[in-house]
Amino acid sequence: MPHYQSWEEFSRAAEKLYLTDPMKVRVVLKYRHCDGNLCVKVTDDAVCLQYKTDQAQDVKKIEKLQGKLMRFMVSKESHSMTMETD
Amino acid sequence: MVLLENDSFLTELTRLFQKCRTTGSVYITLKKYDGRTKPVPRKGNPETFEPVDNKCLIRATDGKKKISTVVSPPLLDLAYSNLLRAHIDGLKKKDKKSKSKKTKATQ
Repeated sequence: MPHYQSWEEFSRAAEKLYLTDPMKVRVVLKYRHCDGNLCVKVTDDAVCLQYKTDQAQDVKKIEKLQGKLMRFMVSKESHSMTMETD
Repeated sequence: MVLLENDSFLTELTRLFQKCRTTGSVYITLKKYDGRTKPVPRKGNPETFEPVDNKCLIRATDGKKKISTVVSPPLLDLAYSNLLRAHIDGLKKKDKKSKSKKTKATQ
């Protein structure tokens, strides 16, 4: 259940996990305004990747990744595969 | 669990964020959805169900109230990301001023 320190590694691992089995993977976002932190989790119920932050600069990266994964989910599977390999 | 239209979901999500500003967390979950409305049959009857490929489910909760919506193209991702960016604003900003002060001090 790795906790990632680097955003780069986390987002790469998250995309890879999603592509192995899109139906199983879910992305969870937890935001606490009172504590000022944001936690992202990507899991397929076997592997669990987590990233925590309290930095405003990470918010944009996190919401970009969410948008990207959402677009993968909503597109036809063949398209998302070719996007990655091309 | 309240299933809403995309617009109502965004409105309710805004309300959730506002409610949790002083205390509590907002949980958002994103998952691919194949359009099932019935549970997976254990065995026996073959699945007559045709999976759809282009939907996803977004759920949100504050621990008490639950809301959800189904997203299919055209996407609401622009409105959704703007909403996230607008509300997730309580985090530490990168402190450039103190860094430059430090470099000046060392010089």
